[in-house]
Amino acid sequence: MKPAPFDYSAAGDLSDARRLLAGGAAKPVSGSQSLGPMLNLRLARPGRLVDVSALPELRAVAETAGAVTLGAAITHAEIEDGEVPDPTGGWLREAAGNIAYRAVRNRGTLGGSLAHADPAADWLIVMTGLGATAIVEGPQGRRRVAIEDFAVGPFVTALGAEELLVAVEVPRPGAGASWGYWKFARQVGEFAKASAAVLLDRQKGRLRCAVGALGRPPLLLGDPEGLIEGQVSPAAALRAALPERPAEALVLHVTALTRALAQARGGEEGR
Amino acid sequence: MSGTTEVTLRLNGRAITLPAEPRSHLADFLREQHLLTGTHIGCEHGVCGACTLFVDGRPVRSCITLAVACQDAEVTTVEGFEEDALMGRLRQAFSRHHGLQCGYCTPGMLATAYDIVRRLPDADAPRIRRELAGNLCRCTGYAGIVAAIQEVLQDPPPAKLVPVARKSRNAPAVSPSPRPSPLRGEGAERSEAGEGDAAVTAGEIPDGVRLTRSLPVAASPDRVWAVLSDIPTVVSCIPGAALDGPPEGETLRGRCQVAVGPMRAAFQGTARVSLDAAARRGRVRGQGRDGLSRSGLEGALDFALEPLPDGGSRIDLAMVYRLKGPLAQFGRPALVEAIADRLLAEVGAALTARATGAEAAPAAPRPLRGLPLLGAAAIALIKRVLRRE
Repeated sequence: MKPAPFDYSAAGDLSDARRLLAGGAAKPVSGSQSLGPMLNLRLARPGRLVDVSALPELRAVAETAGAVTLGAAITHAEIEDGEVPDPTGGWLREAAGNIAYRAVRNRGTLGGSLAHADPAADWLIVMTGLGATAIVEGPQGRRRVAIEDFAVGPFVTALGAEELLVAVEVPRPGAGASWGYWKFARQVGEFAKASAAVLLDRQKGRLRCAVGALGRPPLLLGDPEGLIEGQVSPAAALRAALPERPAEALVLHVTALTRALAQARGGEEGR
Repeated sequence: MSGTTEVTLRLNGRAITLPAEPRSHLADFLREQHLLTGTHIGCEHGVCGACTLFVDGRPVRSCITLAVACQDAEVTTVEGFEEDALMGRLRQAFSRHHGLQCGYCTPGMLATAYDIVRRLPDADAPRIRRELAGNLCRCTGYAGIVAAIQEVLQDPPPAKLVPVARKSRNAPAVSPSPRPSPLRGEGAERSEAGEGDAAVTAGEIPDGVRLTRSLPVAASPDRVWAVLSDIPTVVSCIPGAALDGPPEGETLRGRCQVAVGPMRAAFQGTARVSLDAAARRGRVRGQGRDGLSRSGLEGALDFALEPLPDGGSRIDLAMVYRLKGPLAQFGRPALVEAIADRLLAEVGAALTARATGAEAAPAAPRPLRGLPLLGAAAIALIKRVLRRE
């Protein structure tokens, strides 16, 4: 099937993009790896696309002592190949390398994936686990949004109609930090049926347990310490957080969280 | 909509400029405008890999790459490897190992194989299979393809096609404000709906997905029932919903626009509503269709109004629905639940406003940003709410 007709403009830089997005009717696109299928299936019928994949501001990388800021139009493949700095010492690279397929990773972008906000996508859960911050720019200027406040529903974000996700700031973990990320997909490259990410960063006081692919934004669990120390079971934590879901609907997520916790604990012992 | 845009790119080493409609994907552009039919189109939504070719020396899916997005790019199709020793070796190996039969997946397979040999010189059979996961073969099988790639990996000729450097990565820095990001606590939001079990049971839809919810409404059951019994009013409480005309007996015709992120659907359909005023419960059954996405929805919904100790009310809902067509691919059950919860929260607020005599809801249907694509939820809703005495 072919997309419904639309207009297309390739923005040259951020101010150009903001001008083209003014009014809120146009839809930003970068690699078109998520939007493309929806366009072809005519599930999405935007009147105009604004291509932001080449904006210098969205292709930039900035490093500080505490964080690395990755432009929103950095591709999954660039992260996978180590062409951009990975503040986590390899966790981002590994996650990137397991997104969809190489041909998709060559065009799909970090920011595009986050702004698309598919509940089962990798970056949303990984960045939630890492405690990243979205850098957003719009008519009111630039603002920072904690990643757990960025996705507000399935395929829905906190971005205003004229706002653009410009970059993602990923904090550097402290010494001795460890990480677990586990996802279940029926076939390599498919969207996850369940996923979980665990950050164990005692030096910086960051303990985070997030569960993804729930059909809603990632769930950041309230008592990461209890989970990591084994005082709270993954099943009990998920039951308490999602009481309306039957236990059998959460089995895979319990497994994902259990395995991500084991990876993170193993990583800590291994140091 | 603008007609066409001129696209200039290098195609198999040759500079070309041709008009393209913005909506044309690269595979159609190559096949229709250049008669380069070696690029095959299978699923046309990025799943099967048949259309894989090279843009700037990297394999991409040409069915989900817009032609206009390839301005100034270097595009290489399966026809563009005549002088390429590595591709020549792969072709021979595919032939020798029976790596093709009908040939439909072969151009995409060769593109991915080329990338594997060039990028992963140490790949073993499991790794090759993992890399090939995005290219589907439905006739000859993967064993011959894997064997062919393994053979070429033993002693590959140098790859002539190499990735072009990507555009600026360190141009103007993003300069994030230096404020440290505070560590966030719990983010587990509870939906407003969802407390308590719906006592009702929904009618069965074969292979349907079941969803139960309770919707608190801050008004007395008498007042809520008065609103619920008035179908046009109820419909006006549903974001994006509208009736096509006055209800005819128990039958309703209407539509509901739903939107989730970039997805939009406009379901049009009919529903039958039956009400039991004495028991303050009812049932809605209906179906709808979104012509543009060629997706259908059928559903049944039972509801019951219960008094709450604080003088308010609770509407218990039980629905069963089934979504068919392209939209179903994105309509995972958990997703529908999340959408239904968001929609129900809005409907609950609107019903409360009506039952307490507050402001009228806007008359025109407005598509809800962020709610419900899932007409599933929405429609079920529409119907549910629509009922008649």
